[in-house]
Amino acid sequence: MSNALVPMNANEARTGDHGELIQLVSFSLDNEEYGVDVLKVREIIRMPSITRVPNTPHYVEGVINLRGKVIPIINMRRRFGLCELEYDKQTRIMVMDVEGELMGFIVDAVSEVIRISSSEIQPSPAVVTSGIDQECIAGVINQAERLLVLLDLQKMFSQDERQLFGNL
Amino acid sequence: MPIDCEDQELLEGFLAETTELLEKLDDDLIALEKASDDPELMNRIFRSIHTVKGASSFLGFDLLVRVTHKTEDVLNRLRKGELQLTSEIMDVVLEATDLVKTLVSDIKGGEIVDREINETINKLIPLLTEQPAAPAQPAAETPPLVASEDSPASTETAAPQPEQKPAQEPPPAAAMPPAAPRPAPEAAKKPAPPKGGEKGGDDLSDNTTVRVDVKRLDDLMNQVGELVLERNRMIQLNQDLQGGTSDHILFSEEFGKLAKRMSFVTSELQMQVLKMRMIPVEKVFKKFPRIVRSLARDLGKEVDLQIFGEETELDRSVVDEIGDPLIHLIRNAMDHGLETPDDRIAAGKQRTGTLILAAVHEGNSIIISIKDDGRGIDTDRVGRKAIEKGLITEDQLAAMSQREMFDLIFLPGFSTKDQASDLSGRGVGMDVVKTNIKKLNGLIEIKSEKGMGSEFILRLPLTLAIIQSLLVEVEGEIYSIPLASVLETLRVDQREFHVIGGQEVLKLRDMVLPLVRLEQVFNVKRCHEQDNFCYIVVIGSADKRVGLVVTRLVGQQEVAIKSLGKYLANVTGIAGSTILGDGRVALIVDPVGMVDGGEGASGTR
Repeated sequence: MSNALVPMNANEARTGDHGELIQLVSFSLDNEEYGVDVLKVREIIRMPSITRVPNTPHYVEGVINLRGKVIPIINMRRRFGLCELEYDKQTRIMVMDVEGELMGFIVDAVSEVIRISSSEIQPSPAVVTSGIDQECIAGVINQAERLLVLLDLQKMFSQDERQLFGNL
Repeated sequence: MPIDCEDQELLEGFLAETTELLEKLDDDLIALEKASDDPELMNRIFRSIHTVKGASSFLGFDLLVRVTHKTEDVLNRLRKGELQLTSEIMDVVLEATDLVKTLVSDIKGGEIVDREINETINKLIPLLTEQPAAPAQPAAETPPLVASEDSPASTETAAPQPEQKPAQEPPPAAAMPPAAPRPAPEAAKKPAPPKGGEKGGDDLSDNTTVRVDVKRLDDLMNQVGELVLERNRMIQLNQDLQGGTSDHILFSEEFGKLAKRMSFVTSELQMQVLKMRMIPVEKVFKKFPRIVRSLARDLGKEVDLQIFGEETELDRSVVDEIGDPLIHLIRNAMDHGLETPDDRIAAGKQRTGTLILAAVHEGNSIIISIKDDGRGIDTDRVGRKAIEKGLITEDQLAAMSQREMFDLIFLPGFSTKDQASDLSGRGVGMDVVKTNIKKLNGLIEIKSEKGMGSEFILRLPLTLAIIQSLLVEVEGEIYSIPLASVLETLRVDQREFHVIGGQEVLKLRDMVLPLVRLEQVFNVKRCHEQDNFCYIVVIGSADKRVGLVVTRLVGQQEVAIKSLGKYLANVTGIAGSTILGDGRVALIVDPVGMVDGGEGASGTR
């Protein structure tokens, strides 16, 4: 990937039609590859013991103790309506900053950090992977042999919160 | 206009000092009204305002200087006995103090707002010329005098001619520009400043910085020193074990000792830090004489406010939260509780009503009581009103105990008033009280006797950070129940349970205790074999009791409360979470939610 050689400085990266260079953390869910902005990801951890929280939406797995801070954990498979899978050695929790608060997301595996130019992001086609809310898909990246779905989790949670508080 | 101050540190010092002085000033002024011949008090008030004036003129806050200067002059005349203190004069002085607060909070906000100050100043000016023989009606005389002036600047220079200290006048007059460009008619249209002033006054009580006794800091340092020693010891022990210079038996013995010392040091440390967070409840109480005074005047009632236990300390997070509920309770007592002087005499009571505000420690909680000797709560009337407003039905009312009827006043939308005044009648205030107290994990109790008065008793936890809790196991999951609401625990045979209308109950001595199965409320998967014996944790909120059915009691533990975050803030039945010794998270049961919603929760299963 030629882009990898371009220095990260945003100004220098803005060359020609390459667009702004962005870094994404890619992870997999049910054999699809997804990406989120690296700046939103705080850390990636293995599965600790999770405490279930009653009376919450089914995709809230529970809460964990992250070095003295209690943070909620969302099961991404359940959130997106995919079939459930036993946790294995590859299962990870991505701890992310969602609107100023830390939250953890359970994903099948975290693969790598990739650099792409913003011009490579295409708007998502009308129908994408079944079950995933259209609103939180920021676009798709179509590279030679891979298809990456770019997620915007902030959107997902503003929508969830509306639902949660609407029920109360 | 942004503040142009070269020395930020100087400015901060000024703000801190002024805020403190002003807070005290309010208090002293009210006290002065009761004891106007106390020279010590008078001098203290005079000194405070003088200090504020001095500091603000040094820093060049012209508006502030002008207001404080005039106020000081009036106070000076009072001090010298040239003027007799009346409540009219006091009103004007208080208005000026409010204005000063507003100005100071503007400065604190980093932006000097060009406020209208002449209205207040003009009320002060006649007080400077008035003869001691003729007090009263200064406010009435003022407006015409003001209206004839076209510009504030001329008011400033024209009015104070008979004043004793004209020498001090030029600087503020010369430094007029901020106010001068504003034409007088526009100024007249502006709403009276005290309205904003009262708000500004509240904002002044800044809780972001703490003053800590140096001794407490030294103690803290000592504790931390000990902790460091213990840590070193721990590292040493580990190295010995790794390096083979110590065997397991010796290690476990040494480590046991170390754990004991560590636990001692950390609990000491915890106490120290908690103490630092403690502030006297006075911080809230001192606002009240002022509020009571103005309410009494608005309502045409005579009130003697007595405050006890203002030195009682509690956590600052609690102090920040109880202000509003207390104000509502005081308003309620003044408006609904106390009668007018005529009614009181007719009822054979003293003309002046008494309102007692008291705080006292009791174990791990603080008890604040607001007691009046007014007409008390008329339960018949409360019941009728609640039916009228459609909050309850006739049948429900018939089944209510007196206590439950008292609780009706906390319902949102409840009011005994037919028409809302600007003081009360919208049915919001008491609901605010209930919600806020609940948020603090506190309890409210009402005692009232018709014709004799009522008492509202608030029981609040000392701190919101760390609580004593009872850990229980529900089918393999650990939950924590705040010990403050646990009344007793029992081990019973499930065959003793009775079912009344689909609700499981237990006969406990002479009462029937409704039961809530935590595994059902929390949808816990059953993992144990059905055992006939289970444990019941009896919890109480106000005078309601509920028994929580749990599998096992784990023990009592002091736990630090951790919030579940914004996303999970409103989970039914859960008040928060805590981290156990093994690093796992345990959820804290919300006792109030259980007691209030318990019947519903088990009924819908």
